[in-house]
Amino acid sequence: MIKKISALLLAGALAFSLTACGKEDSVTPPGGNAPAASSGAASSGSGELTGLTEAFAEGPVLLTTGGQSADYQMVGTLMKNLGMEYELNNVATSADLGDAKTLVVVVGGSSKGLGAAGIDADGELARVDELIKGAEDAGLSIIVMHTGGSARRGDLSDKFIAPIFEKADYAIVVKSGDEDGLMAGICTNAGIPADMIDAISDVATVLPKAFK
Amino acid sequence: MSMKKMLALLLAGAMTISLAACGSKTPDPPEVTPKAPVASASTPDETPKDDGVWRPFNEKGETIRTDRDATGENGMVATSNVYATMAGQKVLQEGGNAVDAAIAVCYALGVAEPFTSGLGGGGFMVIHTADGENSFIDYREVASSGQTAESWLDASGNLIENANSVGGLAVGVPGEVAGLELALAEYGSGKLTRQQIMQPAIDLANNGYVVSPTMYGAIADEYERMIGEYSELGAYYLKDGLPYEVGDTVTNPDLAKTLQLIADNGADAFYQGPVAEAIAAAVQKHGGVMTVEDLASYKPEERVPVTGTYRGYQIISAPPASSGGTHIVEALNVLENYDIGSMTVNSAEYIHLFSETFKACFADRAAYMADTAFAEVPLEGLTSKDYAKTIYERINDQAQTWNAGDPFAYGHDSTTSFSIADKEGNVVTVTQTIECFWGSKIAVEGYGFIMNDEMHDFSTSLDSVNKLEPGKRPLSSMSPTVVLREDGSSFMSVGSPGGVRIWPTVTQVISHVIDHGMDIQEAIDTARIFDNGTDTGINYESDGVTPITPEVAAELEAMGHTVTDKGAWQLFFGGVQGIVYQEDGTLRGGADPRRDGKALGF
Repeated sequence: MIKKISALLLAGALAFSLTACGKEDSVTPPGGNAPAASSGAASSGSGELTGLTEAFAEGPVLLTTGGQSADYQMVGTLMKNLGMEYELNNVATSADLGDAKTLVVVVGGSSKGLGAAGIDADGELARVDELIKGAEDAGLSIIVMHTGGSARRGDLSDKFIAPIFEKADYAIVVKSGDEDGLMAGICTNAGIPADMIDAISDVATVLPKAFK
Repeated sequence: MSMKKMLALLLAGAMTISLAACGSKTPDPPEVTPKAPVASASTPDETPKDDGVWRPFNEKGETIRTDRDATGENGMVATSNVYATMAGQKVLQEGGNAVDAAIAVCYALGVAEPFTSGLGGGGFMVIHTADGENSFIDYREVASSGQTAESWLDASGNLIENANSVGGLAVGVPGEVAGLELALAEYGSGKLTRQQIMQPAIDLANNGYVVSPTMYGAIADEYERMIGEYSELGAYYLKDGLPYEVGDTVTNPDLAKTLQLIADNGADAFYQGPVAEAIAAAVQKHGGVMTVEDLASYKPEERVPVTGTYRGYQIISAPPASSGGTHIVEALNVLENYDIGSMTVNSAEYIHLFSETFKACFADRAAYMADTAFAEVPLEGLTSKDYAKTIYERINDQAQTWNAGDPFAYGHDSTTSFSIADKEGNVVTVTQTIECFWGSKIAVEGYGFIMNDEMHDFSTSLDSVNKLEPGKRPLSSMSPTVVLREDGSSFMSVGSPGGVRIWPTVTQVISHVIDHGMDIQEAIDTARIFDNGTDTGINYESDGVTPITPEVAAELEAMGHTVTDKGAWQLFFGGVQGIVYQEDGTLRGGADPRRDGKALGF
């Protein structure tokens, strides 16, 4: 959390200075693993959603779900196709972080998935919260995705979105799932760089750019 | 059969096809149902039509709930998939009769909606001919000769997880091809060749169809299996390792090849030779015991439909091994004692009566219903109006727990027998399935179709009347139903998927049309309830058309009911397709916005 607060403060300060200078160069906030953003300014909470411009994450990756939908497995397929080093664990806790340097959480609620995992929504949220806290304490980068589009919105999925996206260092969102601007708003307000993509297959384009 | 063949001379036809998925023990359909606007049945659609084919979703990839209905003068086809509807319409327009068109639709559905039915499954077909003949073709799957109720149990006698719904031991010997061949031989027009009837499905498999949100959701829900143990299925329905997206086009040349083999050589092409060997190998690879001998010995059955009456209308529906038709008649017999038409649809009073009726019928279902070749089923009693009167007399203004009644005591006082003299319309209604979405998850490599998990419809209790036995048909709820006017003229056809929700759903739609005079599309759109006496109580739709309001839910709770809000437009409550012969001679088709249904007339 300290890392996140620092990153946000720095990002805000940088945004202010960049605005003042009128420059549009991307900036990498110093310290931690916080990423850089595009559109001429780091994400700052100033109302503009910005994309990622500079690699900040490192492998290996622990890939998990936030809500037990199959979307995390689809992301796993893409990472496998990209040749990325990752471990997939849908019930991971901080004890499973191992030597991972980046945590990827794919958000999407599924009552069937929750049932299959033997966990309810509150338990799932608690699991992911504990996992993220462990990742933050260990200095991992955190990438959060929502790739299920409009099909993965609704009361169940929405329960996971805010608590998890607020912890992201970088977010990837399939546009059709964010027509109400929920995730874009979270990222904008928290200064989290986010790339809005057309389809889950576009993860293969943007995700590698996050890795050094 | 001369009378049956006369059917071929009649061009006017109507058909409704519905599909079943997810049996009694797997009630929830795919859950990634996109949000969609709520609108009345006849508002203009916002569907992109750039390829000329109607789509059940808008440019945002969201399911639309409108533009499902149609009116026609010469024929009507209403199915759960527009491509299948078009296949049936094409056959009707080429001079085929309703049975020819039904067969075309069945094969096309196996292509364009492969997660619900297909060559690896089975079903029921109710035929009402223009000359007044009624028939029921049972092409339900049967248990393999080498499988018993103990097959799913571990050494401790416990059910092995998912053994009855996923993998080889979930698969029954498929009946679709044999059943459709029987229908074609006995009731086809004779004007069109098998090749002509199957060509739309073959073309569809070769040229492709557009993925809907419903299909995307079905793929996403089984993604883990498709990239894992059941990668043969994923090979057909994943693109570069990911689910096809809404709007993508899917082809299946392997399935086209198999359909062409059937078109060339009939049922033998499926039940014998390379296809049968591939089926047995696929099932055995995933732990099953089906053999080529099991396939070669499969026989569809032509049966006498269950019949009854409701306020003078004649009900013709599915007999065992379906419980559906029997309980539709039983439920309507109970409801006939009330002035349902004077009640407000989905008021507390209205829902309470339906709930109590359904619970009483479900208690009888659990006690008595099974394959009549293996069990004595008191059909006459269950469909008796006197027996229904005993249920009516017990219903009061409080929720009750129901146990099975004694329908055997009413076994010699069956519902009305009737004759039909309609000279205007032939009606075919089909419900077919591979059981749960994607069936057993086993795809037959090289042939492009999916094997059912129909064994899932057997009880896992060794004491049940519906326990698995070799060669036995599992109990179904599929309820393709035809309704005739008192004079015997065709009035309505209706059917739905939805596991055990099927017959309660069909009952509600029939009542909406008869008791409240609803248009068929309005009847289909109207929010539904379901209650089988389990802990969830009255499951209801809280949004959509005439939804159950919070105030009504509270009133029901005050009457002692448990209530469960299922949201809006829930696949849980089935997907009804129906047709009504209107007084002016036109045909009205309705299709369910809860999934991809579409009616087309001409």
